Amino acid sequence: MAIEITRPGKYSLIVSTPVMPAAGTLGFSDSYKGLIDYDKLGALVTNPVTIEPWNPASGTRMIPLDAGILLHTGLPNPGLSKVINRKRKVWANMPIPVILHLVATSVDQVKQAGSALDEVEEVAAVELGLSDDIELDDALALVEAAAKMEKPLLVRLPFYECYDLAPPLAEAGADALVLTAAPRGTARDIHAGRLVSGRIYGPLIKPLVLRMVGRLRREIPDEIPIIGCGGIHSPQDARDYIDAGAVAVQVDTATWAQPKMLERIARDLGGWIATRHKDALLDEWNPDMGHTEAIERRAPSPDASPDLRPSRKR
Amino acid sequence: MKESQGYIERITRVNRDYQRLDLAVDKSLSSLRAGQALLVRRIDKDYEAERWVPYLRELWFPVEILASNMLVIEQPARSHFTPGQLLSIMGPVGQPFRFRQKLRNILLIAYNSTPAALLMMLAPLLERQVSITMVLMGSAREYETSHLPGEIEIIQADDDLSWSDMVMTLGWADQVFAAVGPGDELEHLGDIMRVMRERRNDVPANYAFGVLQRQLPCGVGACHACMLNLRGARKLQCVDGPAFDLTTLRLN
Repeated sequence: MAIEITRPGKYSLIVSTPVMPAAGTLGFSDSYKGLIDYDKLGALVTNPVTIEPWNPASGTRMIPLDAGILLHTGLPNPGLSKVINRKRKVWANMPIPVILHLVATSVDQVKQAGSALDEVEEVAAVELGLSDDIELDDALALVEAAAKMEKPLLVRLPFYECYDLAPPLAEAGADALVLTAAPRGTARDIHAGRLVSGRIYGPLIKPLVLRMVGRLRREIPDEIPIIGCGGIHSPQDARDYIDAGAVAVQVDTATWAQPKMLERIARDLGGWIATRHKDALLDEWNPDMGHTEAIERRAPSPDASPDLRPSRKR
Repeated sequence: MKESQGYIERITRVNRDYQRLDLAVDKSLSSLRAGQALLVRRIDKDYEAERWVPYLRELWFPVEILASNMLVIEQPARSHFTPGQLLSIMGPVGQPFRFRQKLRNILLIAYNSTPAALLMMLAPLLERQVSITMVLMGSAREYETSHLPGEIEIIQADDDLSWSDMVMTLGWADQVFAAVGPGDELEHLGDIMRVMRERRNDVPANYAFGVLQRQLPCGVGACHACMLNLRGARKLQCVDGPAFDLTTLRLN
């Protein structure tokens, strides 16, 4: 199976299954070796990488919540050049494409990252993470600069600004939109007795993001794929995102709680997408597929695979 | 690191406050050594019926290996467990404690934490004729010790973190391992370091180790939530810990 998860063009990214980890959950390369069969995933999205090294956040970094967690790591990383030097050999041996999640705060940083990453063939695509409080003009400038890279560009939108940012950024050169970064929240650290802010993860995030995906799928051009990310904890969650209009999904902290869940979602969704438009019976990919569902034909063509004809130049 | 399934085979109440769980586990975990832990999630018989409360896996330090596939875990008596409970287990997490080859006397400190993370070393050290002293500080003073081997000297520290014969105990110890509870753990390790510096001429490298027990989101070095800034390096509790040389930690 081949699924194109970025817009058709000179640089497009095709994956074998539309499931990948969200940035920040699987490390920079193969931290989950032995626990997850990477071969079953569509791609690896790395932890966030900045141009300069970033230190871990001081103070409380994680607070358990009811069915979720609040996390504030500070995105520690050794900087882009060190990440590339240390990881490119591992990336070269990975059975799936590597998507580097880039965090940049200025156009200069994006340009710097672009010139470095264009030389790294082990990185198949770049996912640009936008900060939560970014202004539209700044976001446009970053995306326009990043779109000049010779790699497909995925843009991960901040949760609260996603409705405002998605349409203009789709026009500015994003090859795919990732909806969304985890929302920010505040919780009390009972050990330290103080309030801590960070990103919120858990199953409850899914209905919120699912609504965004459905609404934005109607608002932005069909050629811009949407990748759903938020609160996916089961194969059915991932199917819901596809039904809402996403072309692929990213699984976040469910992997920490249950590493095999990522692989199971990937196997399930791959099989589901491959068979549903043809009314085929689902085979026994895994125990998740205990029964089949009558699914209405919705694709324009009975052939579910993307258009793989020679793509046009942008 | 491997994910496997296990189950609680037996539950024994060892004293008023604590119970011990005998876990039947995968044989690969029998190579687990003192300092290494497990990330455990209770699962239903039907693996699909997943509950997400608690969300993250619990960090369990085994206190004893009974047989090639049997580990013992110590838990507060108030926590409810049932024999036959199925568990999803990730492990081993972290690195084993490193002991000096000619270790004769060891000082263990539990500060605002149960000493459970330190207990697995007791049997092998006693077998090597190592003298063990355990100092309980802060809320650890409430820890009931009647089930521990009688050869271990137990000392209750005072409110100011001092104890009788403190100079002698610290001077006599070849190595120190101090377990602190989650929340302000670097501050607590700083307190212990201050106490040692006041009573010893110097605290050399590879002498005193802080044992961290922060809850780990991923446990495999992916999320970096447990990253520590050491002097000259960054380390992860889940991969490089749980024990860190106190002379390298940036203590509060």
